Amino acid sequence: MPIELPDYRDKSPEVALRFERINHRPVVLHVDRVGKTFASRHGPVEALRDITFQVRHREFVCIIGKSGCGKSTLVRILAGLESTSNGRVLLNGRQAHEPGPDRGMVFQGYTLFPWLTVKKNVMFGLRCRGKFPAEAERDAMEWIEMVGLTPFANAYPRQLSGGMKQRVAIARALANQPQILLMDEPFGALDAQTRAKMQSYLLDIWQNVEVTILFITHDLDEAVFLADRIVVLDANPGRIEEIIEVPLPRLRDETIFLDPRFLAVKKRLEDIIYQTSQENSGDTEERFPIKREERLVRDIL
Amino acid sequence: MTSRAQWFRIHQDLSTGRRVFLKICAFVLPLALWCVVSYVPSIWHPDIQVIDVGDSAFFSPGMLTTKAEFAHQNAKLLARHERPATGIAANPVFLPTPGAVLKAFYTAFTAKPINRDEYTLGHSLWHSIQIIFWGFFASAVIGIPLGVLCGSFSFFAYLFEPFIDFIRYMPAPAFGALCVAIMGIADAPKIAIIFIGTFFQMVLVVANTTRLIDHSLLEAAQTLGARKAKLMTGVVLPAILPNLYNDTRILLGWAWTYLIIAELTGAASGISYFIYQQGRYFHFANVYVGIITIGIIGFVTDQVLAYLGKFFFPWQANGASFKSLFNFLLFLPRRPAKGIPRPAPAAPPEAPDADTQTAMEVSVARAH
Repeated sequence: MPIELPDYRDKSPEVALRFERINHRPVVLHVDRVGKTFASRHGPVEALRDITFQVRHREFVCIIGKSGCGKSTLVRILAGLESTSNGRVLLNGRQAHEPGPDRGMVFQGYTLFPWLTVKKNVMFGLRCRGKFPAEAERDAMEWIEMVGLTPFANAYPRQLSGGMKQRVAIARALANQPQILLMDEPFGALDAQTRAKMQSYLLDIWQNVEVTILFITHDLDEAVFLADRIVVLDANPGRIEEIIEVPLPRLRDETIFLDPRFLAVKKRLEDIIYQTSQENSGDTEERFPIKREERLVRDIL
Repeated sequence: MTSRAQWFRIHQDLSTGRRVFLKICAFVLPLALWCVVSYVPSIWHPDIQVIDVGDSAFFSPGMLTTKAEFAHQNAKLLARHERPATGIAANPVFLPTPGAVLKAFYTAFTAKPINRDEYTLGHSLWHSIQIIFWGFFASAVIGIPLGVLCGSFSFFAYLFEPFIDFIRYMPAPAFGALCVAIMGIADAPKIAIIFIGTFFQMVLVVANTTRLIDHSLLEAAQTLGARKAKLMTGVVLPAILPNLYNDTRILLGWAWTYLIIAELTGAASGISYFIYQQGRYFHFANVYVGIITIGIIGFVTDQVLAYLGKFFFPWQANGASFKSLFNFLLFLPRRPAKGIPRPAPAAPPEAPDADTQTAMEVSVARAH
C-alpha cells in the first residue's frame, strides 16, 4: 500500500518565512565554481566539477552523496587541506587558501592528540593563537563543561568512548570560535544509538552556540534530521545534483523522524541517489543478483 | 574449553601465571639442557679426561683426549704388558660445565690481576660501557634530530637519505683501519666505530618512524591554527616520542654487537679483549663469563628501559603515571587513581544521558 507523501518542496508558511529570514543573513561561506582534478597513473581524474553554493550565517547545511562522490575532497578543500583546480572558496568574502582556525574541522577519525589530556586537547587551538595558559585553560574548561565532559578533563583520549572523543573534538574545534564548523562524517564510526544521541546533541550545541555548520554525511536520515538545506552530490565527477530546502520547522527532536514531510524529503533523496547510481551502471555493488529458489522462499512465508 | 586448548590459541594471550611460567622456562630449559649434557656422562661426552696415566709416557694427569686416541694408547700399553691409563668421559674443552662457569664468574670478578698493567673483568667492563655510551650518545645526538628532519621534510630526506643509505651498506668494522690511522690507537677509534655502526641506521630508522606519524593529526592541528614550528614541537615530536624511544632501545642493542669489533681495533681493550685473551689460553669458562655478562647487561638494560617507558608515556595503552613509579620505588601501597572516572565498564559505553542533560542545561544557561 503506497503512502501518500506531501511534495518535498511544500513548505508551511512558517517554514517559508524562516527560509526567507535565512536568505537575508550574510553569506559566511561562498563556494564558487570549485573544481578539482587529480593526476593519476591513468591520466587526470575529475573529482569535483563546478560546485557552487553558499552557506549563510547560523545555517546548518548538509552535503550528501554516496561514497566516491568527492564530498570528503570538497570539505578538505573548504578546510584548506587541499587546493582547488578551478574556482575559489570565499570565507566572509575573503579567499581562503591555507587551513586556519577560522574554519574548525571535525574528522570522522576523532584525531584527538593521544598524548594530551582532554583539557590540553581543547587548549591546543587556544594556545596556538597565543592565549596565555591560564586563560586558555579557563576557556577550555568552559567548552568541556558545554559538552558535558568536566569529569574527564584530565583523562587521556584512549580512556574515552567514541562518542566522548567526538564531543572533545567538537569542543576543541569550537574553542577557536570558528566562522564555520566543517564536519566530515563525524558520527560515521559510531554505533546507531550513540550516533542518534550525538545528532540531537549537535543540534543542541548549534542552537546555543553562535556557529554555522557544514556537515558531510552519507546517511539520509542524518541529513534530513540535521539540515536546513541539503546539497546532494552526484558522482563521477562530483557535481551538485540538487539543493533541497528541508521543509521542517525548528527546533526538532526525534519525533520528526515520523513526520510525513521528513519522509517526503528522505524519499526524494533516495530517488536522486538511487536513480543516479542506476545511470552509472558501472556500479554493481548496490544490486547483485541472487538465484531465486522458490522452495526456500516458501519456507519463510 | 579444556585446559590444553587454553595453552594454544591463535593470537590469544595467556593468563598472567602462564606467562610468568613460560618466561621462567625460557631461561630454565636451556640451562637444564646444558646441565644434562654436562653432568650426565652417558650423553655426548666424546672425550676422555685422563685420571691415572698408568705407565703411559704420552698422557699427563687431567689431560683431555679423544676416545679413539685413549683406546689406541691403552691398546699399545696392554700389548707391552704395561699398566693402562684410566680416565672418565668428558666433554670437549669448549663446553665447560655450568658449575665451572659459575665458579669462573666469581673468580673473574674478584681476582686481582697478576701484572700491574692488566685489568680485572669489572674494570674492563666499565671501560666497555663507557665506549658504548659515548659512541651511542654521539650518534643519538646527531642522528635523532637529523632523522626527524628527514622524516618531516622531503627536502632533507632527498638531500641526506640516499648517501646515508649508501654508507649504511659498508660494514662499520671496515672503517677500523681508517679510524686508527686518523684517531690513533686509544679509545677514539673505538667510539668512532660504534658511532659509524649506529648513526646511519639511526637516521634511517628515525626518519621512517617520523614518516609513520598519523597524517590526520597534522591536518587537525593545522585546522586548529598550528604553523610550522608548532606542528614540529606540538605534534610531530610528541607523536613519535614513544616509537623513538623504542627505536633507541633496539639500536642500543646494535651498539653492543659493534663493541666486539671496536674493542679489538687499535689497542685491544675492554670485555672483548678479555674474551679474546681467555679464548687463546683455552680458558673457555672465562669466555662464557664474558659472553654471558654482555648478554645480561644488554638484557637487563633493555628490560629496565622498556619498564620505564610505561611511565614516560602515560597516554599509551600500557602507560602509567610517574607517581605510580615513585610509589613503587618507595614501596608505598598502591592507591587507586583518582580524578578520572572510568567510562566503560560501569555505564553503557556512552553514559550519555546524564552528560547530555548537564550539557544542555549549561548551553541553555549560556544562551540566557
